[in-house]
Amino acid sequence: MSTVKRRFSPLHVDAEILVFLYLPLLVLILGFVVPILSVVIHATAWGVINNPTYFDISKEAFAEPVLVQTSEIGGHSVIQVKIRGFDFGVIGNSLFIATSVTLASAVLGAAVALLTGFYLFPGRRVFRVLAFVPLLIAPFVNSYVVTRILMYKGTDYNVLSFLLSKMFTEPFLGRSIYIGFTGQAGVIIAQILMFYPIVYINALAALGVVDATLIEQALNLGARGWTLLRRIVLPLIIPGILAGSTLVFILSLEDLAAPVTFKFYKVISYFIYSKFQAARASSYLPIIATLSTIMLAAALIPMFLVRRYLSLRYYAKLTRGAPRAFRGVRLGRRGLLAAYLLVLPMVLLAAAPQFGVVALAFSRGWEHVFPSLLPREALLYNFKSLIEVDGIRRSILNSLYYLGSSIVFIALLGFMAGYAISRARLPGAGLLDLLSSAPLAVPGLVVAFSYLVFFTVHPVNHLLSLAAAASAAAMMHVLILAYILRKLPFTVRAVFTSVIQTPEELEEAARSLGARRMRVISRIVLPLTWRGVVAGLLLSAIYVLSEVSVSVTLGALNGDVYSPTHIGPITFAILQLIEMPRVSTVRLPGGRLLAVSSEAQAAALATMLMLIEVAVIMVSTRLARRGQALVTV
Amino acid sequence: MSLGQGAGPAGNEGGAGEVSRKGFIRVENVVKRFGRTLALRGVSLSIEEGELFAILGPSGCGKTTLLRVIAGFEVPDEGRVYIEGRDVTEVPPDKRGTVMVFQNWALWPHMTVYENIAFGLRLRKLPEEEIRERVRWVLELLGLRGLENRYPGQLSGGQQQRVALARALAVKPRVLLLDEPLSNLDAKLRLKLRGELKKLQRQLGITMVYVTHDQEEAMSLADRMAVMRDGIVEQVGAPMELYRSPATLFTAVFLGRTSLVLGRVVGTTRDARVRVRVGDTEFEAVNHGLGVGDDAAVVVKADGARLEPKGAPEGYTVIEGRVSVAMYLGSFIELRLAPRGAKTEIMLDLPPDSSPPPPGEEARVYVPVENIHAYPVEERIVREAMEQA
Repeated sequence: MSTVKRRFSPLHVDAEILVFLYLPLLVLILGFVVPILSVVIHATAWGVINNPTYFDISKEAFAEPVLVQTSEIGGHSVIQVKIRGFDFGVIGNSLFIATSVTLASAVLGAAVALLTGFYLFPGRRVFRVLAFVPLLIAPFVNSYVVTRILMYKGTDYNVLSFLLSKMFTEPFLGRSIYIGFTGQAGVIIAQILMFYPIVYINALAALGVVDATLIEQALNLGARGWTLLRRIVLPLIIPGILAGSTLVFILSLEDLAAPVTFKFYKVISYFIYSKFQAARASSYLPIIATLSTIMLAAALIPMFLVRRYLSLRYYAKLTRGAPRAFRGVRLGRRGLLAAYLLVLPMVLLAAAPQFGVVALAFSRGWEHVFPSLLPREALLYNFKSLIEVDGIRRSILNSLYYLGSSIVFIALLGFMAGYAISRARLPGAGLLDLLSSAPLAVPGLVVAFSYLVFFTVHPVNHLLSLAAAASAAAMMHVLILAYILRKLPFTVRAVFTSVIQTPEELEEAARSLGARRMRVISRIVLPLTWRGVVAGLLLSAIYVLSEVSVSVTLGALNGDVYSPTHIGPITFAILQLIEMPRVSTVRLPGGRLLAVSSEAQAAALATMLMLIEVAVIMVSTRLARRGQALVTV
Repeated sequence: MSLGQGAGPAGNEGGAGEVSRKGFIRVENVVKRFGRTLALRGVSLSIEEGELFAILGPSGCGKTTLLRVIAGFEVPDEGRVYIEGRDVTEVPPDKRGTVMVFQNWALWPHMTVYENIAFGLRLRKLPEEEIRERVRWVLELLGLRGLENRYPGQLSGGQQQRVALARALAVKPRVLLLDEPLSNLDAKLRLKLRGELKKLQRQLGITMVYVTHDQEEAMSLADRMAVMRDGIVEQVGAPMELYRSPATLFTAVFLGRTSLVLGRVVGTTRDARVRVRVGDTEFEAVNHGLGVGDDAAVVVKADGARLEPKGAPEGYTVIEGRVSVAMYLGSFIELRLAPRGAKTEIMLDLPPDSSPPPPGEEARVYVPVENIHAYPVEERIVREAMEQA
């Protein structure tokens, strides 16, 4: 009896599949896992946990979260309401903010998804469009506009105070109200407005694939209203809500925009960012490595817990679609009232920053309540300055260079990995599946810092010593590597979804007729999956363009935005224009001089970015014939 | 006589390990696991050149896995596969000379009928003129002329099935492997295509391995067939041989319209037959290894039963019992009767011109002894058969 033992089918061990599986795996291990481990081994400053600067839950931490007082300003009676939250130290604040933002986003996102996805009511489409608007990434400028709308100014109106004063308090109480957020509360509110749509879009996608018969059966048995939502609909979309919420938690942890614009610097992300350059001098290395490790653990633990529950493959199942989607139930009068009085203001408020960014792009600045529009003859000044100002033009060219270089590798590695995960039955396929989606779970700042350590500090990498890596060209290559690995998951998952939806028999039929793997891929797989592949690639591309964490840290290593030889991309330029505002002057045709602030130039850059995003999302949705379920920054 | 053999409990031509050296396709002691599931448990088979060989069995018995092992889409954990004497166990599917037709036909939706059929020919680097000729020939053969520029989505189910077959036949394979190719079609079309397939196989002389769960399809098509259960081959042989002389309890229960009753052997008769007592009734059965006093699982085939013996009563045995159902079904009358003192009913098909007693009355029915087989009791098979009765 022949007892030759084999574990794998020859169908799955041809040379091509070996390359498809093990090359991306090798790249991910060497380019992603090893650098991150090199940070973890430097995490030695665990004493920070006992230091009140980093972690504080004493009485003072809870002091005066809200300040209300009445004052006389300029002869007017004013009610001042300052909402500032708490201060739990660098680590405590990050965890508290991320938890609060996640919970609030989950509730708000799910509510808006249920309202617009499950109910039929007049104005539903407007709600849906408005809820999508905050998904357009306008890094930093978006948060800056939130500060104009909601930040406590003390002696002046923000947009919210202006509206409340003019509509309510001045006519009825004869007083103005200066209400606003600052500190920790400001960061929380800004992040909720930025990130709740991520839960919304995931919940909506989950709702879209719920089989209509499941709901119709419940209706048929008499379930209505809250019972129907709580017992049937919510449990069915919980995976979507959980997936979105996990991402929100990670994004909140690594967000820099809200802390920078609200000037609340006691969070891990800002600490890493501000000490990034100093870390190379090694005195800060242990503490940043420790904070990075804490951030990494805080991001990974919920991700793994949720993954155990639903796994990222959930999205593949999502996109397979249900036999028939539910068309919705009519919203009753009370529901309609709640929709317009409670949900609409929230949705409008969340969409307002994006509209504000566009308005600011055509303005001189935003000093007072509303932005000051540029005169008609200089309306496009900010957009022109993008090309005319050396440093800004440099950032656009850098972005294009990074995009062009990284996208080729993302396409190759992404296709290989996505195909191998769905087809290879070899050891390592599961690991590749895990590692190729892991970059989504690892905060970008941790990646950036790990690259800094790995390529410049770590003694093992003397070949790529500090001197070599400090050269602009070398650091640009490191940036490209970071973009490739951070944004690879979008392509991998799009390819995986497309391939898994294509019956394997179509490939087997070709193999059975004598075709080798590459022929099967070129003649059968690619023609059937190219839409999904291109859609994923476009998403990767847009996320490369709007990437923040790596861009503003590694990208800052060769000079600031006003240096013509800096290596930072667009997002780096936007941050610097916001964080280090300058005023430039425009000479109008009549000879009049006009002062324009750099925030407005940042808004023009962000507007350009949003336009590209709109185009890409439209094309990619059309190509993939479905909405993209997962959105991240 | 067949060269094939089962490696199951009753391999009809020798036990596992004694595999013929002949055979166009040979499968030797193949074991295939999927995680903890053992899909094939040491299967051996031998298929002759030019033969239409069916693999029959219920869902999950391993028949498709066995076909995929022959095709090269699965590699066995143990055992070997030979085609034309060559060990192909580790040869990839594209180098085996076998072509497979899938249950869902696997037509490439982005290619026209012509492109689908020409695909395999182009891989063989045939001149374009010859490809055109070959496609024309196969379109003609399968009655698909005029459809060459259509996409699969524009074809009916029957046409799609024919295109799948045409694509496979166009490359003139030595071995054609078919995985339930007719199961997605309606009954009438299935019957029509079954006939066409048989005709084609004769005409082209291709060795075909045909997997199906439909026993009528297997029996009508196959020169020989294997019955599978739980990853083992129960029996291999010509359809009539399997039907008339089922070597195992499973094969007996699985093939044809059958009833299974439990009884005890009370005596032996000539010609290796036994007398079994079922309830208070005794009748004869073909013996499969039982001795007097043994418990018996008795399988009764429904066909051939009569109220009066046809000709001499030799070869018949009488089953007596109370009639519970008598249904006229056109070509026969289905009679169900419970032998006196027995808990289970026996189903018998009487000629349509019979006049059976009405329900509630006693009946004496003559049944050919060759249609009654007694086996040692196998709990699981008995339980499943009783549940399905």
